[in-house]
Amino acid sequence: MRSDASWPLKIAATCGLLFLHIPLALIMLYAFTTEEKSFQFPPPGLTLHWFSAAWFDRPDIWPPLFLSLKVAAIATGLALVFGTLGAAALARATFYGKDQLSLLFILPIALPGIITGIALRSAFDIMHLPFSTWTIILGHATFCIVVVYNNALARFRRLQGNMVEASMDLGANSFQTFRFIILPQIASALLAGGMLAFALSFDEVIVTTFTAGQQETLPIWMLGELIRPRQRPVTNVVAIIVMAVTFVPVLCAYYFTREGESRKT
Amino acid sequence: MKSNKTIALLSIAGFLASSATGVVRAADMEGQLNIVAWAGYVERGDSDKAYDWVTGFEKETGCKVNVKTAATSDEMVTLMNQGGFDLVTASGDASLRLIAGKKVQPIDVTKIANWANVDKRLQDAPWNTVDGKHYGTPYQWGPNVLAYNTNVFKTAPTSWSVVFEEQNLPDGKSNKGRVQAYYGAIYIADAAVYLMTKKPELGIKNPYELNKDQYAAALDVVTKQRALVGRYWGDANVQVDDFKNEGVVASSSWPFQVNLLEADKAVMAKTPIASTIPAEGATGWADTTMLHAEAAHPNCAYAWLNHSLDAKVQGDVAAWFGSVPAVPAACKGNALLTDAGCDTNGMSNFDKIWFWRTPTGKCEAEGTCVPYSQWAKDYLAVQGK
Amino acid sequence: MFNTLSDLFFRRPKALTALLLAPPLAWIVIVYIGSLLALLLQSFYHLDDFSGVILHEFTLSTYAELFDQSNVQIILRTITMAALVTLASSVVAFPVAYYAARFARGKWKALFYIAVMMPLWSSYLVKIYAWKLILAKEGIVSWVATSLHISWLLDALLSVPVIGGSSLSFSYIGTFLVFLYIWLPYMILPIQAALERVPHDYVEAAADLGATQAQIFRGILLPLALPGVIAGSIFTFSLTLGDYIVPQIVGNSRAMIGQAVYTLQGTAGDIPLAAAFTVVPMIIMGVYLTIAKRMGAFDAL
Repeated sequence: MRSDASWPLKIAATCGLLFLHIPLALIMLYAFTTEEKSFQFPPPGLTLHWFSAAWFDRPDIWPPLFLSLKVAAIATGLALVFGTLGAAALARATFYGKDQLSLLFILPIALPGIITGIALRSAFDIMHLPFSTWTIILGHATFCIVVVYNNALARFRRLQGNMVEASMDLGANSFQTFRFIILPQIASALLAGGMLAFALSFDEVIVTTFTAGQQETLPIWMLGELIRPRQRPVTNVVAIIVMAVTFVPVLCAYYFTREGESRKT
Repeated sequence: MKSNKTIALLSIAGFLASSATGVVRAADMEGQLNIVAWAGYVERGDSDKAYDWVTGFEKETGCKVNVKTAATSDEMVTLMNQGGFDLVTASGDASLRLIAGKKVQPIDVTKIANWANVDKRLQDAPWNTVDGKHYGTPYQWGPNVLAYNTNVFKTAPTSWSVVFEEQNLPDGKSNKGRVQAYYGAIYIADAAVYLMTKKPELGIKNPYELNKDQYAAALDVVTKQRALVGRYWGDANVQVDDFKNEGVVASSSWPFQVNLLEADKAVMAKTPIASTIPAEGATGWADTTMLHAEAAHPNCAYAWLNHSLDAKVQGDVAAWFGSVPAVPAACKGNALLTDAGCDTNGMSNFDKIWFWRTPTGKCEAEGTCVPYSQWAKDYLAVQGK
Repeated sequence: MFNTLSDLFFRRPKALTALLLAPPLAWIVIVYIGSLLALLLQSFYHLDDFSGVILHEFTLSTYAELFDQSNVQIILRTITMAALVTLASSVVAFPVAYYAARFARGKWKALFYIAVMMPLWSSYLVKIYAWKLILAKEGIVSWVATSLHISWLLDALLSVPVIGGSSLSFSYIGTFLVFLYIWLPYMILPIQAALERVPHDYVEAAADLGATQAQIFRGILLPLALPGVIAGSIFTFSLTLGDYIVPQIVGNSRAMIGQAVYTLQGTAGDIPLAAAFTVVPMIIMGVYLTIAKRMGAFDAL
């Protein structure tokens, strides 16, 4: 029944993907360049030196990396709880003002990050709240909640209401119903939402510059390195390693969410 | 007289005891110190192990040093207004604003043993001394040089006109799109320095004190310059890239960029860069380490002020940043700076330089001048044209 | 007790909704809306120009300043850029999403997914700096152009007034390309999600009734994908409106809203004017969201 894609479509799709990946290839290439401070094309020579330099000579990479992991993990955790609650509440309920509320819930990603950043900054100033890991998390969790909310909402809408009713009819309480009926059905959506939230938090720089004070997350460390490079290829090495480390979980999440989808249909 | 003697005695005592602790006892140290600084001004060996003047200080005083780097003078003022910092390495265009805003306090130079070593020309400079009170200790200074590509200019350009006026450069091609200008509004003063020679009839006595007509003439110069400039440079390392990859052949610059480019053999083979101070003279910066009015760690701060004037520290900073030390003794015998370093970085140009200062409404030269806020707004509009 | 509560919720679903809604709503309202209000409040203050200290007195002079000619230009420039980036990204994203949703199968589908996700996972900053190298005067594009003997084409492009410049990385073209690149995945994913939700029966029924591929595309897939496009456009438009890093690294020094806000807040310390500036994207996105909501875009986010 399904005919093959036409040639123009194949070409357009391929060009789109190439456009997405040529810069990535470049990032990889320049992790091996022999230039230290600024790049030119083509690179004058290739070396493996920067990988060992990143590992052995640059202790300044680790604290920002751990801070970013910590922030992303906590922000994602908070987002999973709050985002799921919001989605559960708004998926089926009908009440006056629901539309406005659902609009409110996506505002933090619909408005530019710089607004979130500067707004939080003014609030911290007014409340005399000193910068800490928690001020960063506060900012990140706000947009992470929305990401999880969006993913969960779509799934909640397609949740089979009759199963919930059956479960309740058979004597299960709300909590049992949640644990054994709802959670398995929404798990894959939460995983996808959580991964996306983690990714966004881990790479966030626009909000963070306003909420970090003097702390350095990995992207802020990178910004400093890129602006005043000493060993510029090291930033590329770090970027590649982050990509490589995330490749497997992204792939796993894909297959996991696929199963969730196909079971339903 | 007496105080001079005290200073001398103290400085000897300071040297003998330890250059870092000065006269404050280690027991009084607060354990922490927060500094706002230019990138590269306070290094702890993270980027290059040889350049570290923080670790030793921390060990000696027990004051853990936290650095917040700022990219512009305006950002430094903002950070100091927000508070939470003890010290700031303010340039002359920020220092007077900080004093006017009462964000910094006068310092007691008798508590700083190394004060006597400071270049006399910097001790009482108008950008750090108001009503005879010293607001901080001089740190480093340098000129805003004209960097140029020696393939295009076989001999050094003698006038800033190569960046201000549309013209054909010695290689026969127009300078359009091949020159850069600094993106901070203080750059209007560079145009004023240029006009002092180009149009003496304007009667500009000081590029930071411009009356309406003089200011309009300077603004006109930078407005016309917009057509020549592809992009304004705000970040030193980005400018290094621009010289290397974007075909920029002439621009106002710092010795920092020129040193970086000259050290890069690949660049020198393809786009060799040198620098000069044209006949009109140049603007420059002289930075002062200033103490916040509500500094939470004053003893650590005083210890740092003294440490920052140590000859070794001064020489190391100058080598790293491409600046000239505020302590002349630093020019000799520093392995990183080398004995030629101070001259390379512009030591002999002191008298040719108009040091950055905040333009204010009231001024000596003209009575009423155009204030900095106007400069900032107009220059932003110029860049948007 | 669990059972009592449970029964209560079953009989009174509104109570359950309220209980579920309270924590996230509190977060959004207190943390986010509260901060926005704190920011808006500042826009009614004014900055003393010399000392850089904010005068905490109610005034509208900051808003008057917002309508200075140079500020209006910044706003118009940013909106134009955001609109063009959004338009272009939907055009580039559609074939990719369409192929991934309708034709890719099995391993290919996984490959497509990874191919779209990986750029999202690689550092935003490093990507921008990579583009600087691509677009530089001595960069890859001009290197390729020279190798293919089509430098004249590049020169012709750069000599176009307004969008041209002395090199691609000093021009609006450069800024546009980098924005397009950085936000493209945010457009592909919602379109793909919307297309995948189109029931197979629709397409089969149409095919059985003799519709051609082109007819199916125009009559069924395109209208059903539209909410996806709009959802994606919320991201691309909003992200472009607020970004301050891209135009700073690749661009011609003509400021955009994000840069203006960043510089005013961080560098000039003029928080009142920065706050007034942020009202512009708020209004634009407010209008945009209201329209998007009517078109059912939120289901595809």
